[in-house]
Amino acid sequence: MTFSEDKMAIEEILGSRSRLRILKLLYMLGELNLSGIARRIKVSYREVKKHIQILETAGLVTYKRFGRIKLYRLNESSSKVKAIEALIDAWEES
Amino acid sequence: MSYTYSVFKDETKLDISYVPARLIHRERELRLLEEFFSFIFKTPGKMTQRVIIAGAVGTGKTALAQRFGIDIMKKAEEHNLRFRYIHVNCREYRGSLFLILHHVVSAFHPNFPRRGFSSEEMLRILMQILDEQDVHVILTLDEFESLVERDGSEAVYKLTRLQETRLGMPQRLSMIFIVRSLKPLESLDPSSRSTLQSNIICLDAYTQEQLVDILNDRVKLAFKPFTVMEETVNLIAELASSEGGNARLAIELLWRAGKYADAEGFNIVTPECARKAASSIYVLAKKSDLAYLGLHEKLFLLGVARLFKESDRAYATLSELERAYMIVCEEYGETPHSHTQLWKYLQNLAAQGILKAKVSSQGQRGRKTLISLLGIPAEELDKTITQLLGRK
Repeated sequence: MTFSEDKMAIEEILGSRSRLRILKLLYMLGELNLSGIARRIKVSYREVKKHIQILETAGLVTYKRFGRIKLYRLNESSSKVKAIEALIDAWEES
Repeated sequence: MSYTYSVFKDETKLDISYVPARLIHRERELRLLEEFFSFIFKTPGKMTQRVIIAGAVGTGKTALAQRFGIDIMKKAEEHNLRFRYIHVNCREYRGSLFLILHHVVSAFHPNFPRRGFSSEEMLRILMQILDEQDVHVILTLDEFESLVERDGSEAVYKLTRLQETRLGMPQRLSMIFIVRSLKPLESLDPSSRSTLQSNIICLDAYTQEQLVDILNDRVKLAFKPFTVMEETVNLIAELASSEGGNARLAIELLWRAGKYADAEGFNIVTPECARKAASSIYVLAKKSDLAYLGLHEKLFLLGVARLFKESDRAYATLSELERAYMIVCEEYGETPHSHTQLWKYLQNLAAQGILKAKVSSQGQRGRKTLISLLGIPAEELDKTITQLLGRK
């Protein structure tokens, strides 16, 4: 199965508890590497890597490379990310 | 609701982390530092600078660098220059170049991982960040000795020769090294040493008069009006001056003296509060030493203790103390010793750090010797000597 941004349905992306937690974590902390995400949401490195790839392909996360590591962050230029951030805010406020 | 009176207006102004808006008696050094780094605004990216600030504990090294850092950040903002001042205490990071660099990188990327990098890689990453963000940095390495002790010449070399590996690229990282003494730098190899010792600002210990000015400035900021006696300030300055002109100690003593005043419910900070503060920080005179004093030295000291306990003063003349001693002798049924003998006792007690004698030039007729009690609260001294003498 291939993931392309326009073909991925919302339920496909947000239907995963881990992916939602990653999005929420990146919204809260700004940026993290894969190990940092895995440690915080208590999911294996391999799992996180898989989810991050999906989120990256969907255009929701982006990264910056420093030597051997990548620091992932939400893709602030995406309107979908803005909608997700608003959703998290609304959810956390209530 | 209960209300407890306090002599303090804002005790945070006495906190070790507080950086005063005006650095009293360090104005010249601040201007010099600004001069060393003026190129940042004139020719940004064209050069870097390294400056060493050296001075003993409490001579204002950290305050000087931090004041400079705050001022230059403000100036950079006015010039729309992307600039950061970063102050790191090397001892906090156990003198490890890697941990220090990680802290600096974290100033730009707060969740930057710690594992899996060498210090060289961390340095490269730092420069990558500075290039990408087009930012210039002055990095202050406070207590730099601990980095020299732990990571030695190699670490210093990596830091100071960094720009040489970036030929043709903008120069972005200037440094300030803060050391207590230049001696530890002698252990570095000649090439590392030569990159360091270009600009050195040496801070001398504060004189007693300078400490009085510093304390008075903090009194204005931290205490309610008219709550700190002039004699209290003078005594604290004298105590800190005898401890190597240490302004940090002076400010801490001032804060503690205020705390003792509050605890006792006084609305004024007396010299006795300062003596209590001093005895809680360091021991100038051990109680056990008092036991070895001769009978008349003890009687003299008891007179001193009573005079200061009853008078709220920091200083007394020898003739005043002589009168107090005579009263004590009468109480204990002893014949008072001569003035010359008392002078000798005074010298001995001063040598032991219990009393301090200084010659005042303020007397109208000639000079007077002013004696102060250091480090032991008068009340405590009275109690201890009375016990040693055995109540009559």
